[in-house]
Amino acid sequence: MQINEKLTALEAVYHGMYMTVLVVLAIMLFACLIRAVKGPRVADRIVAVNMMGTMVMVMITVLSLLLEEGFLVDICLIYALVSFLAVIVITKVYVGVFRETQQNSPGAHEEIRNRNALETPGMGEGKEGV
Amino acid sequence: MEIFEWIRLILGGGLVLCGLIIFLIELYGIFHLDYALNRMHAAAMGDTLGISFSLVGLMIFSGLNFTTLKMMLIVIFLWFASPVSSHLLAALEVTTNENLKEHCQVYDDLKILEKELKEEKEVTGGKEA
Repeated sequence: MQINEKLTALEAVYHGMYMTVLVVLAIMLFACLIRAVKGPRVADRIVAVNMMGTMVMVMITVLSLLLEEGFLVDICLIYALVSFLAVIVITKVYVGVFRETQQNSPGAHEEIRNRNALETPGMGEGKEGV
Repeated sequence: MEIFEWIRLILGGGLVLCGLIIFLIELYGIFHLDYALNRMHAAAMGDTLGISFSLVGLMIFSGLNFTTLKMMLIVIFLWFASPVSSHLLAALEVTTNENLKEHCQVYDDLKILEKELKEEKEVTGGKEA
């Protein structure tokens, strides 16, 4: 796609379709972000970020066909690998930290749970627990 | 041959549209379902099928290229990697949740589950006979 080129009918249809797909995927990306902010558990947030990564992969591939550059698909492949690795590392680290606090002091989990219970109902009540 | 171009447009466009619809259904499921494990189920299945349809449609647009081979590699890698990350996330959720009994049924020992299934089979076998 060049900026000042005149497009035939077929190319104009392709151009319009790629643009529509990109806009719809961008709107869905923001909706996933709402779930990432809202989700009460940690797993909700990781799942939402994973979904955002998958939608970005489709967007990169569409962009590579729109701009007629073949190397952008390599970026998509590496992004898939990195997002998979990120999920693995985050889950391993989180479970490790959880088990460590459980072993060090058996009462630590009760304190953390009570603090979370005080913080989650409303925004203004969290300052008492901390 | 211009008819092939229009066939390619319709076929590829239909597949990409199906992929977008599946992503929309998955997005609705993420917001509507109750618990984190249910949402994980919707996300994993929707992601895999949505990206497969979208990338196969884009492969049809691209023609017989090296780019097409790379897109196929992305799909195959995601088919292998997505179940692994879903399994790890479910293990994270089950391990770190103190109040798991409120959301799903928890068996401490596998033998209790086997005993329940055996009793259920005996009851249904007795009703049929």
